[in-house]
Amino acid sequence: MQMPSNTIPGNVMLDAGRKGWRLRPNSCARSCLLVLTLSVGGCARPDAVPARHTLVVAYGADEYPLSINRARLGRYPLNAGICEPLVRLTQTFGVAPALASRWERHGDNTVRFVLRSGITFSNGSPVDARAVAFSLGYAARTRADYSFVSDSAVRIMDDTTFEVTPTHLNRRLIDQLVHPIYSVLDRANDPAVMPVCTGPFRLAEYVAHNHLTVVRNTRYRGEPSLLDTVIFRFIQDETTRMLALRAGEVDAIFDVSRSNAKALRETPGLRVVTAPPGAVLVMYLNINGDAPYHQLRDSILRRAVAMSIDRRTLVDNVLGGNEYASHVATVNPPGVLRAYASRVHGVSYDVQRATQLLNGQPRTLRLIANPNSVDRATVEFVQAQLASVGIHTVVEQLDAAAYESRLNAGAFDLDIEQPSQNDANPSFLLAIRWYSKSSTRSARFTHASLLFDTLVERALAADTDDDARRAAADAMHQLVDVEVAAIPLAGISRTYAMTDRVRGFVAHPSRLNQDWSRVWLAR
Amino acid sequence: MTGLGWLVRRLLGAVIVWMLVSFLSFSLGSLAPGDPAYMILLRRTSDPPAESEVQQLRRELMLDRPVMVRYGRWLSAAVRGDFGNSYRTGQPVFRELRERFPATLVLAITALLVGLVLAIPIAVAAVAVRDTPFDHGARLLAIAGVSVPGYLIGYLLILLFAVTVHLLPTSGADGWRHLILPAVTLGLGGAASMTRLLRASLLDEMGAPYVRSGRAKGLSALAVLTRHALRNALNPLVTLSALRFGRLLGETVIVETVFGWPGVGQWMMLSIYDRDYPAIQGFVLYIATIFVIISLAVDLSYPLLDPRVRPGARTAGA
Repeated sequence: MQMPSNTIPGNVMLDAGRKGWRLRPNSCARSCLLVLTLSVGGCARPDAVPARHTLVVAYGADEYPLSINRARLGRYPLNAGICEPLVRLTQTFGVAPALASRWERHGDNTVRFVLRSGITFSNGSPVDARAVAFSLGYAARTRADYSFVSDSAVRIMDDTTFEVTPTHLNRRLIDQLVHPIYSVLDRANDPAVMPVCTGPFRLAEYVAHNHLTVVRNTRYRGEPSLLDTVIFRFIQDETTRMLALRAGEVDAIFDVSRSNAKALRETPGLRVVTAPPGAVLVMYLNINGDAPYHQLRDSILRRAVAMSIDRRTLVDNVLGGNEYASHVATVNPPGVLRAYASRVHGVSYDVQRATQLLNGQPRTLRLIANPNSVDRATVEFVQAQLASVGIHTVVEQLDAAAYESRLNAGAFDLDIEQPSQNDANPSFLLAIRWYSKSSTRSARFTHASLLFDTLVERALAADTDDDARRAAADAMHQLVDVEVAAIPLAGISRTYAMTDRVRGFVAHPSRLNQDWSRVWLAR
Repeated sequence: MTGLGWLVRRLLGAVIVWMLVSFLSFSLGSLAPGDPAYMILLRRTSDPPAESEVQQLRRELMLDRPVMVRYGRWLSAAVRGDFGNSYRTGQPVFRELRERFPATLVLAITALLVGLVLAIPIAVAAVAVRDTPFDHGARLLAIAGVSVPGYLIGYLLILLFAVTVHLLPTSGADGWRHLILPAVTLGLGGAASMTRLLRASLLDEMGAPYVRSGRAKGLSALAVLTRHALRNALNPLVTLSALRFGRLLGETVIVETVFGWPGVGQWMMLSIYDRDYPAIQGFVLYIATIFVIISLAVDLSYPLLDPRVRPGARTAGA
């Protein structure tokens, strides 16, 4: 049932089943007998011995066949390390040079970049300003752009120098350009079929719904990858991914749930690695809703809701403790705000005070939660906590489309989501979800006050990264502590599991920026 | 009624079924909450898209038109063999179905064979040694097989054959070895219900006068059971197998997800999640077509298995 594949001739052949057959003759006979009894097969032949420097990683479902992702093969949502943008996201949510060696702001809305000299794509052609113009235009043409860039936004000065002027004012452009959708591509190739860029790896083969294989890019500008080959296998079901790891079919797996992580930790030869928090479990409140979803216009009720949730117990007992979750007061991972995160305190847990604020009035609120990122245990915990102060919560189980529909129609009182931070812009979430001028549908129900708007605008327009973080922290303080328009519940860490042979893996808080080039396999 | 008249009537009925099914699925789909354009744009970065972008995509996908207008356009294209393009992948729905159908067909046929190969000998043996521990055990296993969810059987089989004895792969679709576990998972559930049905049917037949006649003529109990009673008891099993086959073609979604089998079920599940109406329409028609064909095939097979139900045949005593 082999699906069509994109393959570069002369590249690696895949070793389909890496676990070689090591059955003794009598066990083979027994196995054959068993399979014959089931009338569906016979004794299988031994597979090839696995390659020594090939890492097999189990990823989730293959989303490249989706029309919106096809143009981003190898880059998003799985970043296979074949491409690099102008700048990269550091482990601490800062911006570091990647293909651009330096940049400086010219005027309000223009940034001048200088590319590193002498760098080439994996096919040997030079990385130049024209390739950057093509790549930013390509992002816009394929609906990937969210930074107001386009072909016409780039003015080329010479081969390595160019200016980018977004079509709308965007002072956070640099923070956003770390996203892999802004990778620089060779315009001579169709990025939807065989993307040619520069990164530690280059694409060798893609088989839809099956696997994506990358091999070392010998022309890479930086340190060469320690691995020859990385095979990303698409295994949609999380339990099957875990079983594939235990069976030795794969060396590492993405996105391990807390319940499976505990079991894997206890399995000899396997280990679990968690990244610093890259997402926050946030409760959104419908503070501008129409009847019957208008109750949280009342700031006293909002504060009572916030006071009734014991977030420490949520982290320690429901979310599996500090290895998987952390105490946060911010709606972004606190690392994004650096030291300014301490300006946001969060509403303290105080059942007595919450009960007083409610003044014995029975309340009923409707709660929805994103089914893709929020588990049932979290929702039930919140429901129980609210019940303890006399707030009856109606929880509605919805599929993703129905959930988004309810969210966009403002048909909810409380909503739990888990947004991730994948760029360096400290105010991205604030601007999307609580800013009154946000272009998203749901913001009209969740947007905060005019004062908050002013603070967000200050963060978006800040000249320096430090100013942007400080202003974002002030806006977050206004949002969380003063207006109680959002309730951060917990910082969430991304979890990986791997065999003990996998060495050198450092989990990045942003999955989209995970680097596999420093990983190696011990004998 | 002549055979040709019967066939024409069945085919006309099939066309009416197709029309009804397509209209109902289109209407119900439009009533379901969820905006395909929004869901597609959400895939861009997982952040909510701007309202202007959503509206633009809605126009491109013609989602801003009334449901009946969309249905009319779809129907006029469908009768020319064009089932539209998937909102999610942008590919023609028919091509997507054609690419994925072989995987599901292979899985369903193998699962059905597994079920039959297990069910027939077990049911025959259970009747041959009726009310013995084997018979009780077979009945118990049949009840367990029907009760245990397919995904659980799947995980247990992976645990045993992939994790413990390293005999078979956990998932994927790179060859016949990858087919075994999903087929056995689906086949076990079918085997359980087929065993129960065939056992009951055989017990009925064993009480019939022709069985007593056979025994009186000196045939052994096993010979009567396997040569005569089994053939007559197969009719309900054929019906069940056919319906089960139809269900397998449309309901393999969980097993396909667990085992990473790239079939129609998995594709459909994702299409429903994203409200990919053209894909859902295509799938519904695909299922309707399969059931029409299967029920036609079952009707045609009855006379071959039992001469009493041939058109124009006179029943005893008539």
